[in-house]
Amino acid sequence: MECLFGIQGDKFTIIVADTSQVQSIVVQKTEEDKIMLLDSHKLLGTIGENGDRVQFSEYIQKNILLYQFRNGIPLSTAAAANFTCGELAHALRKNPYYVNMMIAGYDPEEGPSLYYLDYIATLHKVKSGALGYGAYFVLSLMDKYYSKNMSLDAALDLVDKCIAELKTRLMGAPPNFVIKIVDENGARELAWRKTVEDINGPRPTPATPIEVKSPPRHISFRSPSPSSKERKGKGRQK
Amino acid sequence: MQITSYNGSALVAMLGKNCFAIASDRRLGVNFQTIATDYQRIFQIHDKLFIGLSGLGTDVQTLFQRLKFRHKLYQLREERNMRPETFASLVSSMLYEKRFGPYFCEPIIAGLGEDNAPFICTTDLIGAKQFSSDFVVSGTASESLYGACESMYKPDLEPEDLFEVISQALLSSVDRDCISGWGGIVYVVTPDQIITKTLKGRMD
Amino acid sequence: MSRRYDSRTTIFSPEGRLYQVEYAMEAISNAGAAIGVLAKDGVVLAAEKRVISKLLATSKSTEKMYKIDDHVACAVAGIMADANILINTARLQAQRYTLAYQEPMPVEQLVQSLCDTKQGYTQFGGLRPFGVSFLFAGYDKKFGFQLYMSDPSGNYGGRKAGAIGANNQAAQSMLKADYKEDITREEAVNLALKVLSKTMDSTSLSAEKLELAELSLTPEGEVKYRVTTPENLNKLLVKLGITQVVVEEQ
Repeated sequence: MECLFGIQGDKFTIIVADTSQVQSIVVQKTEEDKIMLLDSHKLLGTIGENGDRVQFSEYIQKNILLYQFRNGIPLSTAAAANFTCGELAHALRKNPYYVNMMIAGYDPEEGPSLYYLDYIATLHKVKSGALGYGAYFVLSLMDKYYSKNMSLDAALDLVDKCIAELKTRLMGAPPNFVIKIVDENGARELAWRKTVEDINGPRPTPATPIEVKSPPRHISFRSPSPSSKERKGKGRQK
Repeated sequence: MQITSYNGSALVAMLGKNCFAIASDRRLGVNFQTIATDYQRIFQIHDKLFIGLSGLGTDVQTLFQRLKFRHKLYQLREERNMRPETFASLVSSMLYEKRFGPYFCEPIIAGLGEDNAPFICTTDLIGAKQFSSDFVVSGTASESLYGACESMYKPDLEPEDLFEVISQALLSSVDRDCISGWGGIVYVVTPDQIITKTLKGRMD
Repeated sequence: MSRRYDSRTTIFSPEGRLYQVEYAMEAISNAGAAIGVLAKDGVVLAAEKRVISKLLATSKSTEKMYKIDDHVACAVAGIMADANILINTARLQAQRYTLAYQEPMPVEQLVQSLCDTKQGYTQFGGLRPFGVSFLFAGYDKKFGFQLYMSDPSGNYGGRKAGAIGANNQAAQSMLKADYKEDITREEAVNLALKVLSKTMDSTSLSAEKLELAELSLTPEGEVKYRVTTPENLNKLLVKLGITQVVVEEQ
């Protein structure tokens, strides 16, 4: 039950996304960052089909950067949003991406902006918006508590209200959320709201230190492999 | 839910005395959830030509952007604006190009033609044009709109009266349709000016 | 000796030259002149009309000035048929950008894009280059008013003032001498017309033989492209002393 929502405040925009990676009934990860930095002053939050989500958002990010490298100037948020919408619309009748997103950005003249873009390429500039199952709960809270030009504290307060509501009323509510902000100083991570720590958190140290003869050719998330004889008897390392 | 009623819309255009009016609702929804109340469905092509697009939001945007592209090139090459009748043919042919995978849009074209004669026309989603000498309607509230327009419409109305009639017809019809509404916007176009007014109706 | 390296665009000569491209530029230096001047509040384009005949019944308002998009216009020198193709290409490129980004295309990108097209004809395909030079005048939010000059090789450069077509060397040196920084649009018009009249071959100048266009901003911030009407152009020429007023004797 993914949730993605955004609020445009006074000179900033924040996007909040849940951070669970789910496949069927299994929660694979509870710290998946679903809000990508498109460039120094843009954020792209995405939810939806697992593969499409990452592929499409990386595709958009690289294209936005390519424009900047080619032309020496960054795209405005509106142009980036329209470009993304165009890519979705183009793919819609061939091989659609099932990805819902919110795009936030800060432009020197325009100020902060927030765009709602759903998977069938409906683009709309909004002051507050939400996507996913969480939207059913969050939108009404936004209607009640949102006001124009909210301060950051008020916006974070509203975000916390939304998260609390989701945890109470949404079945299968995600435990953790990430909040990112974009303002004149740039796009960056602002805070996390965690209830559950990822149990695969820091890498476990191996029980007996093993000498590694040659430098590792790649980073592995398993402890350095012993010889095959030893491996057979060891079973799963925890 | 049916794809043409996924986002919800209501559009109407009427002919008056040397003028026309085109009006739409402002709701953007996803099934029964309202996303925005300031969605734009009526677009200006040039000073004397407007197009309103009802139906699926993404196709509304795509179709308008492509029409703007085509009209801009026409304007640059011909050094003049397109006549409404010509534009209606352009819309019709663009829609028919996608005959077997159509845009889920039903446009309303309204403009002032040669000698500022007002012109309105609508097409279905695959481009079948239908001209009219009184009014045209489109969108999820179209059945209600037909009834309201039929009873309220009178030929040769002045711009102020035309505005009243079209607003009443729109507001009363969207009130009977749960997926359109949340206010309205009306454009009344005469040879000299374009009057834009927003309507506040039942915000639900 | 170098004749054998003339015929194909896709090969260099032993001296490292592309003869077809140079011959294209030669073709342009016989065509009607065009001058562009960048002012702080606009851009001015002036051009010499070559095709003047009483029998002419043209539908286009201008012979050498074309609007590419609402915020970009160009003046042309060279083979008009080639110019029509490139102008069409430029218009399509500008609209495609607007279709993708819903914003007007930045002027330099438009010029770059067109020049990439022109460069293609100097490297592959075996087709001859376009015999056209352009002066692009445009406005965008990021860099304000801009003037670019491009030639058949696909090279382009941002300019404060430029001249293409017949006698362009003489015109450029005159512009270099008289151009001032912070020139206003009105002064730019005067400069362009003066330089054009000095470099044109004809002895008497009238509004029939010239075209003048200006790109400026309206008070609301929209870009306005305006071609001066023949009557107003005549008045300007008289004011500058370029045209003698014909006094009718009653």
